[in-house]
Amino acid sequence: MLKSRTLILLISIGVIGLATPFSIASDQPQSVDVIAELIDQADDGATVTVPEGIYQGNLIVSKPITLLANGQVIIDALGSGTVIELRTEGITLRGFTVRGSGSTVDHEPAGVRAFDGPVIIEDNRFEDVYFGIDLRQSPETIIRNNFIIGKELELGRRGDGIRLWWSHGCVIQDNTAIDLRDMVFWYSEDLIIERNKVSQSRYGLHFMYSHNTVMSENELTDNSVGIYLMYSNNITLKHNRVVNNRGSSGYGIGLKDCDDIIIQDNALLANRVGVYIDNSPSSVDAVGLITRNRLSFNEIGLLATPITHDNVITENAFIENEEQVTVHGGGQLTLNSFEKDGRGNFWSDYAGFDLENDGIGDLPHAPRSLFRNLLAREPNLRIFVHSPAQQAIELTARAFPDLSPQPMFTDPHPLSSVPALQLMSSSDSTNPWPMAALSGGLLLASLSVGWFIIYTPGRSQTQRLHHLRSVDA
Amino acid sequence: MTTISNDQYCGLDHRSNFSPGHTSKGYCTLLFARREFLDALSSRWFLLYTIAFSMLSISVSYMSLAGSGSQGFAGFGRTTAGLLNLIMLVVPLMALIAGAGSIAGERERGTLLYLLAQPITRTELLFGKYIGLAVAMCCSMGFGFGLSASVLAWKAGGVGLGSFSMLILLTCMLSLAMLSVGMLLSVLSRRSGVATGLGLFCWLVLVFLSDLGLMAGTVIFKLRVQEVFAIAIFNPLQAFKMGVIVNMNASLDVLGPVGTYATRTFGDALSWLLALTIVAWIILPLLFAMLVFRKRGGV
Amino acid sequence: MINAKQVTKKFGSTRAVDGVSFELGASESLALWGSNGAGKTTLIRCLLGIFPFSGQANIGEHDVQRHGKLARAMVGYVPQELAFHDDARLERSIQFFAKLRGMRVSDASRVLDMVDLSGHESKRVRDLSGGMKQRLALAIALIADPPIIVLDEPTSNLDASGRQEVVETLHRLRETGKTLLFASHRPDEVHTLASRVLVLEKGKLIKDVTPAQLWPTHHSLQTIRLHTTSENDDHAANVLREAGHTVNLNGHGLCVSVPNNRKGEPMTLLAQASIGVRDFEILENIQPSESNEPNAHPDVALNAHKQSSGKQS
Repeated sequence: MLKSRTLILLISIGVIGLATPFSIASDQPQSVDVIAELIDQADDGATVTVPEGIYQGNLIVSKPITLLANGQVIIDALGSGTVIELRTEGITLRGFTVRGSGSTVDHEPAGVRAFDGPVIIEDNRFEDVYFGIDLRQSPETIIRNNFIIGKELELGRRGDGIRLWWSHGCVIQDNTAIDLRDMVFWYSEDLIIERNKVSQSRYGLHFMYSHNTVMSENELTDNSVGIYLMYSNNITLKHNRVVNNRGSSGYGIGLKDCDDIIIQDNALLANRVGVYIDNSPSSVDAVGLITRNRLSFNEIGLLATPITHDNVITENAFIENEEQVTVHGGGQLTLNSFEKDGRGNFWSDYAGFDLENDGIGDLPHAPRSLFRNLLAREPNLRIFVHSPAQQAIELTARAFPDLSPQPMFTDPHPLSSVPALQLMSSSDSTNPWPMAALSGGLLLASLSVGWFIIYTPGRSQTQRLHHLRSVDA
Repeated sequence: MTTISNDQYCGLDHRSNFSPGHTSKGYCTLLFARREFLDALSSRWFLLYTIAFSMLSISVSYMSLAGSGSQGFAGFGRTTAGLLNLIMLVVPLMALIAGAGSIAGERERGTLLYLLAQPITRTELLFGKYIGLAVAMCCSMGFGFGLSASVLAWKAGGVGLGSFSMLILLTCMLSLAMLSVGMLLSVLSRRSGVATGLGLFCWLVLVFLSDLGLMAGTVIFKLRVQEVFAIAIFNPLQAFKMGVIVNMNASLDVLGPVGTYATRTFGDALSWLLALTIVAWIILPLLFAMLVFRKRGGV
Repeated sequence: MINAKQVTKKFGSTRAVDGVSFELGASESLALWGSNGAGKTTLIRCLLGIFPFSGQANIGEHDVQRHGKLARAMVGYVPQELAFHDDARLERSIQFFAKLRGMRVSDASRVLDMVDLSGHESKRVRDLSGGMKQRLALAIALIADPPIIVLDEPTSNLDASGRQEVVETLHRLRETGKTLLFASHRPDEVHTLASRVLVLEKGKLIKDVTPAQLWPTHHSLQTIRLHTTSENDDHAANVLREAGHTVNLNGHGLCVSVPNNRKGEPMTLLAQASIGVRDFEILENIQPSESNEPNAHPDVALNAHKQSSGKQS
């Protein structure tokens, strides 16, 4: 037994020494130098297939080649530095498991760092990395179908899942990132960002000074913020699902100083704030369009700063948000339009009616809420939301119209039914049976406790009473 | 006089060990609990309460999730928030009134005296009544929650099973706390009308006045976050609400700066702190009620 | 069986019971005598450990204040009027009390049989007559067959026949050796049932005598009920009390206890006060079973009688 194993080991060492491409299954970690040598021996543009195994160390690729993992190839930097550096354009990295980058903040160690584009990073898995994929001026790079899971650090100390720096024209598709900071795009334009999933991170998709991009069908769940656009113009967000982003900012989509943004056909569900608009658009003649989105079950559907202007908000469905629309710090949204071409939005709290049956409510929707106004002015009062006292204040305000504040906005043509929206369908289906079981259990328990108390003590007690007797006078 | 037949008679040795004609503490308490439970079950208020609570919780669940289409699963939090409002309004009212009527009602009918002339202690009577009412209320709420859980399962799938269970648990705790306060009021007042009035007043204070007062205070005196939190947490209803929210969201950030302060300051201990507040509201008024009931000796 | 030492109960500044001490042996039968407000009921409640009080009282060897539950286990209590949830059914109610005393459900039907209430099990308490309620109370008191029965004016709300039933039952109980302690305002009952009488006045124990000492037997008392033409019976009652009669306003009309040979006296007194008597009846009476020769002068007894009944509250 021992002999045969030593034999295999000797053979494999010999084979590797000969640098013949082949694959064996080996648990024995090897150095990444093995791969480096494979690369050295390959010509530019060649395809290098890396045999299955664990390779330890930091790999630097500076030759335009295609690196393919043959089976399970793990490259482990053992917790120091960047795992793979791509130092030239034309490299393709496909099918690897990359893990164990360093975690020191100053060098920003990553799973893969590319210094020159275009490169292709595809079908890889990143585990226990500080940054996932970091592009430094690597334009037209394709990052596709990678799975990235970060280190277990506090939110503030994590690195980014994917970071682009001055990398225009990249394609970021079908990637999944969990437990990281952001998927962030700096100074990068004309990107295509599709079908990515980010969860349990800080900002799902984060734009800094990056313009002219379409983002569609991304799923952003359980992050602090779903999508945050900052100082970035001419961006279209379409068919994204932004669910349950409830960090201390907790925006589904946040816009800061962004011009010409189109937010369309997105599902914004159960976030702290569905859409947050901070000074967008900020330039003269710029506009913002928010249309055909579903904003449901958020604490606040749409939150805007008081100076917000020139946004068109139409044909959205505002359903059961704790606050549908509010202004940060108080004020009104009169400089924005809540309708376009005679069609407004659907409001689940609309109190009017549609006698004409034309799909448009006959009365404008201009909600006045004293409590909301108080909240906007005194944020500390937010501790009283979800309590009957809040309702009491609203009722009082309704009974004494003098107390009613000015409406924060007016939708002159509210829709009388939920518009048909083309939302991305939910990929997570939950099993209703546990809840059904709870329901049945509760009903059964409450009824049987009642039944038990009514009918059994008479019987059970006779036994106890064998010990008790009465005086015989 | 009729004598006890021999099969029940185990001789003098046993008789000296057992004091005849009464029952053990626990059994006696349970007897009163059962009596109270049955009284509650056959009373109109209880039926009304169960129906009202069930209907309201179903309709709240249904309304919150209506129009959500396939996205209903996301509405769990919103549904819970709606239920929260309903619970904070209805449960304390019911528990306070039920508790307030318990002792004072017996006193007014003259039945209290008769009961106290039996071989029981005042503690057994009070505690038995408490348990009976508590079980009755929890059963009634369990029924309502069961129905709203079925709406959730239908409309929202299995999301938030843990949170929902926690909501039920906390609601039961809240009802115990309010029942405890109600019994204290009951022991303190001579007539059941007075007790009920006190119960209503107490409800008004806990549900509305204290919150409104604190709101005014927050605005007028510019209270700091820690002050607002410290005052708010004394109200068992606020503690209950924060408990449900912290359990659902893992933080109180939705409650604005005060919530964020609480989350940052207490971290994981926050939910325990809140639960402890409610537990204190269960134990202290009941203890006080027992002391008063025993010391004052009123019938 | 019962031992009271300096039992004192204050309500605010008034002493409802003031330093009462007495001992009651087994199989004795003790009546508490006094006007309303003399402290009979309060004393009974203290002895049962329902009220906290100063002083000490034991039932058997149990201190009623510290081990009230054990003490009360030896006592069956019958109140002036049975207070129950009106909606409760008779059977369920008595079963509850049976269980409270650790008895079987079958014991409940046994005692119901004893007081002739079998067959009424499914009736609601509010549908019972006064006499039936008192018999039910008696049944509950007897359910665990306790050595002591304490009764607080058990017959005051009953009509004559109801009273007769209860008194007869109590009489039988006495003969079985039960210790009785009861408050009463009816001399005939006291005569029939009590072996001793404690006379209370303003909470103080002023006499501890036999019924025969209180009322000489040869002037055995009879109770007559008067129906006056006046609308206000209180006035008539006061007229009679001033003349030294014991008057009760419980129930309909005025109930006056008079010696057998002076039954016309109340009517004369009322006539002098210009109060017409529309009707009168002589209530049935049970003759005392024993007739000990009195030692005390009749006037003394009557005097005490007068003082105690003068303070009707």
